[in-house]
Amino acid sequence: MSRREPLDILQGTLDLLILRTLQTGPQHGWAISERIEQISQAVLEVNQGSLYPALHRLEHRGWIEAEWGISDLGKRARFYRLTAAGRRQLDLETESWQRLSVAINRVLRLA
Amino acid sequence: MTLSDLRLRLRALLLHRRVDAELDEELAFHLEMQARKHRAAGAGDADAQRLARARFGSTALVADQCRDTRGIGFVETLWQDVRYAVRSFRRAPAFALTVVGTIALGLGLNTAVFTIFNAYVLKPFAVRDPHSLYAFEWRSRAGQWRLLTWPEYEGFRRDNPVFSEVFAERRQFITRVDGHTAYTQLVSGNYFRMLGVDAAIGRVLEPSDASAPGREPVAVISHAFWQRAFGADPRVIGRTILVQGRPCEVIGIAREGFAGLDFALPRDIWAPITLSPQLEDDANLFGPDPPRRVGIVGRLKPGVTVRTAEAALLAWAEAATRTFADDDKAAGVLVESRATSVPLRPMTMLAFAPIMAAFAMVLLIACANVANMMLARGMARQREIGIRLTLGAERARLVRQLLTESVLLALPAAAVGFIASRVTIDAAVRIMFATLPTEFTEYIRVAPLPPDLRVFAFMLVAAIATGILFGLAPALQTTRSNIVSMARGDFGSDFGPARLRRALVVAQITASVMLLITTAVLVRAAQRLSRVDPGVRTRDIITFDVRDPQRARVVAALAAHPIVVGLAGTSTIPLDGNAPQVAVATMDRPELVGLRYRYVSPSYFDLFDLPILSGRTFTAEEGEAGAAVAILSEAAAARLWPDQPRRDAVGRTLRVVPDRRTRSGARIARFQTVQVIGVARDAATDLDNNEPVSTIVHFPASLTAPGSGLVARVTGEAEAARRTLDASLAIAAPGAVQEIHKLQEFVSGRVYPYRAASWVSGAVGTLALLLTVSGLYGVLSYLVRQREKEISIRMALGANRAAVVSLVIMQSLRLAAIGLPAGALFAVGAATLFASKFMILTTFDALAYLAVALTVLAACLAASLFPALRAARLDPMTVLRAD
Repeated sequence: MSRREPLDILQGTLDLLILRTLQTGPQHGWAISERIEQISQAVLEVNQGSLYPALHRLEHRGWIEAEWGISDLGKRARFYRLTAAGRRQLDLETESWQRLSVAINRVLRLA
Repeated sequence: MTLSDLRLRLRALLLHRRVDAELDEELAFHLEMQARKHRAAGAGDADAQRLARARFGSTALVADQCRDTRGIGFVETLWQDVRYAVRSFRRAPAFALTVVGTIALGLGLNTAVFTIFNAYVLKPFAVRDPHSLYAFEWRSRAGQWRLLTWPEYEGFRRDNPVFSEVFAERRQFITRVDGHTAYTQLVSGNYFRMLGVDAAIGRVLEPSDASAPGREPVAVISHAFWQRAFGADPRVIGRTILVQGRPCEVIGIAREGFAGLDFALPRDIWAPITLSPQLEDDANLFGPDPPRRVGIVGRLKPGVTVRTAEAALLAWAEAATRTFADDDKAAGVLVESRATSVPLRPMTMLAFAPIMAAFAMVLLIACANVANMMLARGMARQREIGIRLTLGAERARLVRQLLTESVLLALPAAAVGFIASRVTIDAAVRIMFATLPTEFTEYIRVAPLPPDLRVFAFMLVAAIATGILFGLAPALQTTRSNIVSMARGDFGSDFGPARLRRALVVAQITASVMLLITTAVLVRAAQRLSRVDPGVRTRDIITFDVRDPQRARVVAALAAHPIVVGLAGTSTIPLDGNAPQVAVATMDRPELVGLRYRYVSPSYFDLFDLPILSGRTFTAEEGEAGAAVAILSEAAAARLWPDQPRRDAVGRTLRVVPDRRTRSGARIARFQTVQVIGVARDAATDLDNNEPVSTIVHFPASLTAPGSGLVARVTGEAEAARRTLDASLAIAAPGAVQEIHKLQEFVSGRVYPYRAASWVSGAVGTLALLLTVSGLYGVLSYLVRQREKEISIRMALGANRAAVVSLVIMQSLRLAAIGLPAGALFAVGAATLFASKFMILTTFDALAYLAVALTVLAACLAASLFPALRAARLDPMTVLRAD
């Protein structure tokens, strides 16, 4: 399923951020939201309520896989991992995001 | 939908508890981590948890959203709808039971019909690869269907283009073994092996049993016959039974359930085809001029289609008949499946169609009734549905819920209907055997009718279709409300299913009128048929079908028997429609007249009380010699010499013009001219036609002429006489008598199919009418309830009770006024369509139509009586004050 067609930008963005975060390795939900906040230097605050539906949606699309594991603190947690399809999707979405931001920047500069 | 999606959905569906628990755990873990973070930042325990929850939002909502992505909403809503429906049924059990009962009745009847159709047409025989079995015949240019001769079969078996293996069969014949009627068939030795049928006890026929004429006479009997005739005694193996008066050794019992490739005439005995010269009276299959009497059933080679087979077999038949006379050359072939008892082809469907249509109509009427009840209930639930719509419920969602309710009612109806179908089938078979003329019960067999997967699938599909059928219109209708007016609290104004309900009732009246007219026409046909004066004496006549070799012995025994007062021979039995036709002409006019003909012994006319009106009867010498003389029936004489008195026919000469299809050497081809020596009173030659045919010419024959039937006139009670004669002939000429009947029974047998058909259509039609009346009653009661206010106002303004009553009754009559003529019209159409198949049916029988019209009208009036009286009893003051 290609994702070139225009999408709800917020949802699409959250998906992109999740996929990108998982590129470095498996994470559980809470860690994903923390990491996005850290890296974006708290500019992006993930709405934690919409994080989980997004995770489940990505899982259904086959872009990430979930597995129960043990967290750093020794508790059972659900870890999400990027699949091969997810990796391809990440490339696609990164590229389309970059095209979008370039286009928006041009409009902002020149219009 | 991706694979992972499907996997996750399935998991969510099957392990939904576990998946839900996992989701809860995942969210709880998140909250705990968040709280821990707050604690690390210095918050107190309670504060940390509160902050975490605030940041997260409603866990229930998040969980719901996660569940939505799983997309098992459909199933969950379905489950909700089911629970909701069950709750609402529990609140109105009478409604639910009525619906289930009505639909069960309709489904049950239709399943019964389907079960029978399935057994004869759809269910393949339990033999090896039944779908590759095909029978083969060819058609001559003269249009006659031809079988093969024995030498042709031998050649065909070794070398043919399409069949991998072939067996030969002779037409089954009726024989009597130890007093039991048995359908016997002669088959080639590979018959059982090819069909993959083995023996329950002993062995089946082997190729060596039929390798050449003159081998040991052996026979295999069917499991059913073994039980019926021999009480399932295993010692029957090795015993010798008399088949056609010839001793045959029983070598085995075929496996249970196997009775040949025909359910209408299930085979009881099989013997090697090489015994044909001993067991059959016809020309010798293995003689120098072999007759074409070998039937062929082959197994198509894998990959060969029926179409290819037809082309190849036509080429084969053309080659095989190249040297024949032009008329006898092959012009076409028939390659017909033998996988089921009745091959599935357009004719079969056409024959079953009227029966299926009649029963389907009952189901439709039941559906219409239930739809009406649902509409009335929809009216009662209008408030509930209105509120739900106003609160934002989707219409599609509500329709779905209402449909779920209907299907849920239809499924238990299917279960009850299944039981109803079993009871119906059982009762129908019992009733048939109880009402059949007694001598016929021996010959009539019924295919096993167990329910199988096809029957269950039919029930399920029919039930769901039914549920949607009776649920859809009401569901659409009830949810079509105007939200604005409902929001104002007005739940009645825009609800107008009246037109739909009336249309349903009109359709019901139409259908029941059609069914009842069919019944009436059949009843009248049966009456007419039983009233037809056959013109021959029937009450004390016994008919015999006797084997030729023992004919003389039988004639001697009968002539000497004290209860026999008269004895005659005839080539065909009177009243049986099978007297053949011949073209004759007078000497003075060239045009040909088709007459039935029959060879009779001189005593024939006396025996049947047929007076010779002028001239004389045959002399014994003419009978012995088969002289060139003839006796015409009155009608035949009138046909040949239209404007002359019948006595003038005597002494004239007739030209007999054989058909070009008549075989040379046939008895009818012996003379070109015959002299008319007498004119006899008319008698019916058959009872099939509306007006019995009585144009017949009689030729002389002797009492012992081969291939003819014997008739005896007896003293005393006919059935007792029949048994006495049967018993004494069994001693005097064992195995000679193949059939022995009372002629009167023959008349009853001819009438029976019409009588039985009239019972079936009568039952179906009555049921349809009852359902229609109850539907009409429902509509009118509803109408009165709906118009209470209006009626009350009329009454308050001075309308009297008679006016109110007629108001309601007029409503009912208006519906009948459309339904009646429509039904009659359909009946005429159906009759015209089928009249060609059943000659006895008149397309338009005024009395039948009138009787049905009056009955239906009376029923409509009866249905409107109670609602009308209720309307008349309304108290205007109470009604008008109610709102």
